[in-house]
Amino acid sequence: MSSHNMIEIRGLDSHYKGRQVLFNIGFAIPHKKVTVIMGRSGCGKTTLLRHLIGLKPSESGRVFVEGQDMGSFDEKGMANYRRRIGVLFQSGALFNSLTVSQNIAVPLKVHTRLSDETIRIMSLIKLHLVGLADFLDYMPSQLSGGMRKRAGLARALAMDPEILFVDEPSSGLDPITAAGLDDLILELRETLGMTIIVVTHELESAVKIADQMVVMDRGNLLAVGTPDEIRSSQDETVLRFLRREAEEQQVNTESYLSRLLGRQYKAGENSTRRQGGVR
Amino acid sequence: MIYLVRKLGAIALDLIEGLGRMGMFFFRVIRGVGRPPGKYLSTLKQVQFIGTKSFFVIGFTAAFTGMVLGLQGYYTLSKFGSEGLLGSAVGLSLIRELGPVLTALMVTGRAGSAMCAEIGIMRIEEQIDALECMAVDPHSYLITPKLIAGLIALPLLTAFCDVLGIFGGYLIGVQLLGVSGGAFMDGLTSSVVWDDVYMGIVKSFCFAVLMIWICTYKGYYAGLDEGNFGPEEVSWATTQAVVYASISILVSDYIITSILL
Repeated sequence: MSSHNMIEIRGLDSHYKGRQVLFNIGFAIPHKKVTVIMGRSGCGKTTLLRHLIGLKPSESGRVFVEGQDMGSFDEKGMANYRRRIGVLFQSGALFNSLTVSQNIAVPLKVHTRLSDETIRIMSLIKLHLVGLADFLDYMPSQLSGGMRKRAGLARALAMDPEILFVDEPSSGLDPITAAGLDDLILELRETLGMTIIVVTHELESAVKIADQMVVMDRGNLLAVGTPDEIRSSQDETVLRFLRREAEEQQVNTESYLSRLLGRQYKAGENSTRRQGGVR
Repeated sequence: MIYLVRKLGAIALDLIEGLGRMGMFFFRVIRGVGRPPGKYLSTLKQVQFIGTKSFFVIGFTAAFTGMVLGLQGYYTLSKFGSEGLLGSAVGLSLIRELGPVLTALMVTGRAGSAMCAEIGIMRIEEQIDALECMAVDPHSYLITPKLIAGLIALPLLTAFCDVLGIFGGYLIGVQLLGVSGGAFMDGLTSSVVWDDVYMGIVKSFCFAVLMIWICTYKGYYAGLDEGNFGPEEVSWATTQAVVYASISILVSDYIITSILL
């Protein structure tokens, strides 16, 4: 494994309720770069993210973090890894019963022995970073969707993580707020030198922030490369995704009718039955 | 036939897996007692939620149960000319049996369901995932304070229920039905011994553990088995939590009584 890679994924398969959702995924995430994992809704991006943050154990295939197999982490090893990461969830996942500053203070209170005053100052610094310094004592319910995401980002940054995972930063946001979040991600890479992994289906946003793009389709890896390399790809599915064209559905009549009937449908079954009825 | 065996096997395996998971869940909650962050404030908040806010409903339940006991007890005892034993009957019934059970059932309905729904909502809104990603143990952070608070609040609420129930029985027996106040109090003080109080306390501790364990466990794993994380899973988990906790309280009441008698 290259020493320039923070995370490397090899031959990762994943199942959900008996259905395979990831097929032999393998690529590397370089140090201090923004890697954008993109694809259509339901293509397995978030499942892949859950593997990377250790919320879903790998059934087959491996995830290496700086050369260490994540599957070999015990409880303590996983806790150590998670102290090095920050995660911004799609919904922000703020604790509704705590104020914004209390939300940011949670990891600081658990992992440090800082005084309450210092923790409050640190929370303020993080909120200042995401432009929410005036909302220290607000409850999450009093914030807009974009503000909640930024507050979630401030919490993800609380422990100054080496790796930041961001799930769908622009979903549900207006284009201006979404662009603001993209700028913030770029700023974090520049100023704090973080390795950032963003999961999104927003093409414009991905091209803007990515150093490396990973394109997925139906659980398969389609392409990995810089935004320019992806744009010059000759793969038909990648091109269709970049052109935002809907895929033509190849309808298999037999399997479609089998799904509708809840049993195996045989070609010609209908006509035979109709004949039987006439008889 | 093979289908039936396979189905039974699957149910048995699910049951064993569920029990194992419940055991691990409880172990992690207990382990959380000594883990940071400090739990004084969160435990106090939970004591207020489980204890203080249940005062009214427990008070009502206790007073009316005591009053009914007074009425029924008087009716039964008067058949044998033993109205003087009303204090003993009301006191023993409440302290040994009805106080702990009714308190636990009422707290399950009021606070247990709310705890289950709260944890369930945290699960479907990815807040528990967020805690895990911050390397914060959700068992220690969320559940342990509730368990400690339950162990503090439930015995106190039980004592409150006992006192108010006896007062209700006294009110009906002495003030309404004309039983001698002296006879009522004498029967009460002479028949209730430390062992009766001890049984009530032991029961309330056991019920507290069962109630918090089942309700928080159901919320914590809301939708996780089904793989769907929505309001329906939380409401189903809450219903299951209240039913299972109530049944467990009643079954364990029988077991504890049979052991301590």
